[in-house]
Amino acid sequence: MKFFNLLRKELKELINAQMIASLAMIVVIFMVFGNVMSSTISEAVKSESSVTLSDCDDTEFTRSLLKKLEENNVTVRKIDTSADGDDYVSILRKNDLKSIIIIPRGFTEALDSGEKPELITATEMKSAALVDSISDTSSGGIDKIKDILSDEIAKRSGITDEELENIDSPLTLTENTVISGKSAKISTDAIIGRVMMLNEILPVIIFVLIVMTSQSLMGAISNEKIDKTLETLLSAPVSRVSILTAKMLAATIAAILNAVVTMVAFSAFMAKAAIDISKDAPDALNNAAVNAQNMIPDDVSGNLSGMLTAQGAMRELGLSLTPADYLLVGIEMFVTIMICLCISLILGALVTDAKQSQTILLPLMMGVMVPYFISIFADVNSLPPVVRGLVYAIPFTHTFSAIPNLMFGHTGLFIGGLIYQVIFLAACMYFALKIFNSDKILTMSLNFGKKKKKKGAPAEE
Amino acid sequence: MENVLEVKGLSKKYSKVLAVDNVSFEIGKGEIFALIGPNGAGKTTTIRMISTLLTPTSGDATVAGASITQAPQKVRENITYLPDEAGAYKNMTGLAYLKFMGGLFSTDPREIDRYIERAKEINQLGDRLKDKISTYSRGMARKLLLSRAVMTRPQLAILDEPTSGLDVLNAIEIRKTIKKLSHEEGMSFLLSSHNMLEIEYVSDRVGIIAKGHLMVTGRIDELKERYNAPNLEEVFERVVKENEIL
Repeated sequence: MKFFNLLRKELKELINAQMIASLAMIVVIFMVFGNVMSSTISEAVKSESSVTLSDCDDTEFTRSLLKKLEENNVTVRKIDTSADGDDYVSILRKNDLKSIIIIPRGFTEALDSGEKPELITATEMKSAALVDSISDTSSGGIDKIKDILSDEIAKRSGITDEELENIDSPLTLTENTVISGKSAKISTDAIIGRVMMLNEILPVIIFVLIVMTSQSLMGAISNEKIDKTLETLLSAPVSRVSILTAKMLAATIAAILNAVVTMVAFSAFMAKAAIDISKDAPDALNNAAVNAQNMIPDDVSGNLSGMLTAQGAMRELGLSLTPADYLLVGIEMFVTIMICLCISLILGALVTDAKQSQTILLPLMMGVMVPYFISIFADVNSLPPVVRGLVYAIPFTHTFSAIPNLMFGHTGLFIGGLIYQVIFLAACMYFALKIFNSDKILTMSLNFGKKKKKKGAPAEE
Repeated sequence: MENVLEVKGLSKKYSKVLAVDNVSFEIGKGEIFALIGPNGAGKTTTIRMISTLLTPTSGDATVAGASITQAPQKVRENITYLPDEAGAYKNMTGLAYLKFMGGLFSTDPREIDRYIERAKEINQLGDRLKDKISTYSRGMARKLLLSRAVMTRPQLAILDEPTSGLDVLNAIEIRKTIKKLSHEEGMSFLLSSHNMLEIEYVSDRVGIIAKGHLMVTGRIDELKERYNAPNLEEVFERVVKENEIL
């Protein structure tokens, strides 16, 4: 069939060695990054039970403190830094350390006299990267030392263990969260972390889809226009709808291939990072969450601990997506791709030279970036009415808010968004078909800043 | 002579500009007809309308009896069009390109093979057909495109500036091919060109177009005699000047 001849040609042009190589790169990058993340997190988890310590005070009490640390399953590597004073750079370099805890002289004396003893730590920070801050190995050891000291002070003051626990934690906080009439024992922080994790996957996939589909189809149309192969194609005995459909279908297949590979690679990365925390943590799953909370900076700890403990509670609250929800999200994604294809087709028809083809997708990209960033930093529904209206007028906003809307039971918003997208798609499709089935596919052009000599007349002849 | 193309009062208006105004001419079977005129005269617009790429504002044309406005699909089955400075898909090999284009004219694999064999004979590119088109010289690419345009034995081959940008030897070869196909196989051609020498050598009849009006049509010898000019170039000059006075 002539259509398959066209489709084969379009697919061969889109799914070429360059694209396969870039897909392989995506997989490799995610896998390498996933391994780096998991090994760093594993290292951080393990490091809680291993500290490097210098006991400059060297009293009976500090020696017993180190012993107690070891009794608490903390491996203490002892080194002597008394000769180096406060030259922490050389202490770390000389001993090839990332971090160290130093018990200075006078530590026991301060404790005996009822003052707060000083504990010194030195940590080398090689970059501001998240993974670097995760692997700060001192914090776990310090927490243990704090516990031992609290015990010691309590004993000296005649306070029982139970009384001490009440002082440390004066209340037992049981956090409950209610969503859409359902309640579960989980903190809102854990839920936000969990939903954010899910919401981080979808925008990446949407973004890859939109960029790849748009560029593919826009390039397919504009290159044919620039090389004048489009005129040859349009004068062949094959309908324009077939040519258009073959191009759109090929771009969709290429985009879905991209999305699937990206999604699989990204999911594998996420799963690896999550599994390694639970696997390497010394205690049970719940303790792992607490440990992760201790070791990882506040901004991400919510996500990781939430991910490990929240699963059951999320299901209890109905925050897990059902197969029907996934189907709806799939439909929304499909409509989004189709909108992109139609807009790209219209933009591709405007291109008359290679330079224009590089910049013409900018309006579409902006239309994707705005709702993407808004969906990360704010809840669209809490925006002022005018701004909210403007943001909702961008069809891609509804794609980014699809999962949260379905999760939190805002079905009306989801359906409304989907209906709006379908209407928007119908309008785009109407214009795209009108352009492709008329002279405009050959005569349309962008002529910003050019003098209008002959309005509507093509440049050639 | 049986007419392959009949153009009747064809006009095209872009917004307020009348690019082609009431153009009429015909091309007989096996005839080579050339449209000549200055830049912006309306040659390409006329050709694009006959190729069914643009819709006429008024008038009509028939190719092998099929109307360009009523039955464009039927027209496309009987024509091939080679645009000015046309390219081919650079990532394809010459053979893959011929196969792809052949597949748009026929769904029968044996028929497509016959198209390819014929194109090979015409373009004489040999083993280079197995190479990617991006490695071809301009002359090679043009030969490939010309062979593509005639491999399906269309009733009418429409060639816009068929030798533009080619060196003398390649241009001569292409002109010879056009003449041979016309005289030996009875294929009709509609050409457009700025090159008067080329037109005088290759065409049976010409039409001189300026400012969207077809000023005059006729055999080259007749026109030379009518305008008392030694060559087509001077005929062209006199016709265009006459038009300016008008």
